[in-house]
Amino acid sequence: MPLPQFDSAIILRYDVAGPRYTSYPTAPQFDSGFGEPELRAAAHASNEDPIPRPLSLYVHVPFCLSPCFYCGCTRIITRDRGKAVIYLEHLYREIELTAPLFDRDRPVTQLHFGGGTPNFLDAQQMSELLDSLSRHFTFSRDAEREFGIELDPRHCDGDYVRMLAANGFNRISVGIQDFDPEVQRAVNRVQSVEQTRTVLQAARDAGMRSVSVDLIYGLPLQTVEKFARTLREVIELRPDRVACYAYAHLPERFKGQSQIDAADLPDAATRLTLLGLTVRMLTDAGYRYVGMDHFALPADDLVRAQDAGTLQRNFQGYSTHGNCDLIGLGMSSISHIGASFSQNARDLISYYAKLDSGRLPVARGLALSDDDAIRADAIQRLMCHGMLDIADFEARHHLDFGVYFAQSLERLRALEQDGLVALDPARITIAPRGRFLLRVVAMCFDAYLAQPAPSEVRYSRAL
Amino acid sequence: MNQLLHPGRTTAHNPLADDGDELRFCSTCAFGSVCLPAGVDKTALRELHMLVEHVGPYHAGDHIFSVGERFAAIYAVRAGMVKTRQIDDEGREQVLGFHLPGEMIGLNAIHPEKYPCAAVAVDTAYVCRFSFPALATLATKIPGIQQQLFRLLSADIGKAAQLAGDYSADERLAAFLLDIAARYAARGFAPAEYRLAMPRGDIANYLRLAAETVSRVLRRFQDHGLIRVDGRDVTLNDQAALRQLARNIPHA
Repeated sequence: MPLPQFDSAIILRYDVAGPRYTSYPTAPQFDSGFGEPELRAAAHASNEDPIPRPLSLYVHVPFCLSPCFYCGCTRIITRDRGKAVIYLEHLYREIELTAPLFDRDRPVTQLHFGGGTPNFLDAQQMSELLDSLSRHFTFSRDAEREFGIELDPRHCDGDYVRMLAANGFNRISVGIQDFDPEVQRAVNRVQSVEQTRTVLQAARDAGMRSVSVDLIYGLPLQTVEKFARTLREVIELRPDRVACYAYAHLPERFKGQSQIDAADLPDAATRLTLLGLTVRMLTDAGYRYVGMDHFALPADDLVRAQDAGTLQRNFQGYSTHGNCDLIGLGMSSISHIGASFSQNARDLISYYAKLDSGRLPVARGLALSDDDAIRADAIQRLMCHGMLDIADFEARHHLDFGVYFAQSLERLRALEQDGLVALDPARITIAPRGRFLLRVVAMCFDAYLAQPAPSEVRYSRAL
Repeated sequence: MNQLLHPGRTTAHNPLADDGDELRFCSTCAFGSVCLPAGVDKTALRELHMLVEHVGPYHAGDHIFSVGERFAAIYAVRAGMVKTRQIDDEGREQVLGFHLPGEMIGLNAIHPEKYPCAAVAVDTAYVCRFSFPALATLATKIPGIQQQLFRLLSADIGKAAQLAGDYSADERLAAFLLDIAARYAARGFAPAEYRLAMPRGDIANYLRLAAETVSRVLRRFQDHGLIRVDGRDVTLNDQAALRQLARNIPHA
């Protein structure tokens, strides 16, 4: 893949709203016509492939002790740890109902805990949950398995990290966002470098395979100088992976964000400089730009998978274990089983109610059509490998690319004029200056964007 | 069927016998070869065609005929896949075979005049129905039809013997993959790349293996570069090695 070329003028011109394509079709297309019978049928069919895909489990822990104002995740703010007890009772019930849908010879090669704040669960609760999962599913014993968890270092210590390692976790992902105290106060997340270092160091000492950190640019009171300091501190911590997300200010959609004073937000030019700075400092420090918001050290699995052409895009961003059926457990979790997407109820009351009546908590979803699957593959190839080989794609999907994607190609030709992609008869390639605008390229293949969007869909901007 | 395809799709996932017309059978049809070389006159040919009825679509799980049903017709698969099965005294299913486009089903019902097995669509399937009384009458007029019926009957009897021996899981699966390939090849489809539309449970049942064993062996074949499996699509990369594995099984 060519080195990315940071072209401010082009990036600014294409700063349009668009999906992030952690799935295609994207979540706003899910609907309530897809429910428990459809999910059961998808699970049943997934067992019946000649070699059924391995499993990936996602477990959502929705609770947070305090609200970070920028956050757009589905979460519940509470200091009442007792809430976790009731939640876990229901999660266990969901595990008992869900696990038997999948044949036991399908190994779990990937496990991910996200939130909210997964370390809202105490050590004993976490051990018991892991124990339940390992009894109901068949955990892979392969060293290549990827068991990861998102951690909030403000509520986590070395003992907790060692407990996680003892329970089989080999990856942690730690939120930082920004180390600057003023920015931290403005977003209600005060976290020292030292707290962060303790958690990362404990993970390494415990033999974890990879540690990752999250940053956000575009937060209130951020300046280029202050963010450069944060980046220097991050580089010194030397995480294997760095994700740097763009803050999208949508207070009408994410209520917590109304705590942020819009006047404190950096302007478009500053945001662009912050992104450029991030790219420059991280690549100068030896990180590779993987795509979208993600950077990784050359020895990391993510970079090796990209070089080997096995990288996949999924709900966690990029993944080395993309060829799994994904089972989402917990409130609001998304599953991707066979040619289907589905999502659990997005509030505790409905999530609990369905489980209390002995039903799976799925609330909405989508069965992919052939066309969906074909477009998803095109988007996947461009976002992960930066290239789409037309002959290979035609053979895989039994189609004439030029005819099937006539409209997409027309849109791509406009992007080619701006040097974002290179089109030739054999392949579509992401050009160096298009690497930061992958979602704009992906949008060319999105059949749903041409249609009126379902109500309330608001995408964040590409930049 | 082509109108079901999105513009730009070149073929469906499952091979489809090209549609015949009044004087021409689908190129894959078991009866397609009967008439032309034998120089059948056009009136007879037209008569044969008139007793063929296109039926379908059947969806996965739909019955084309059931056990014990009075024998009235034999069928040729036009598109999709059909399995035949029996239910034993304990109520367990026994898969007898999988039938690909161009292949006949129902031949084993000619004698008792009842279907001894059920025929069930594995995926979306279309079939041709040959009314048997009419076909039998016509066979007395056209010798080629009689001969073809006998040929089909004896081939059908030979098929079941293949798995009766005491063969290992590797041998059974290698033979199974090659058998499907040979049958596709015989009908002019690409032999090295095909779709196993049936659930692995049916493959396991047919080969008298556990489902996990089927997957374990296929994964090992894949790890050794013999095959590549992508969802339900299978590519045979090394047919020579598969033949070597299956060498003890007759006709493999």
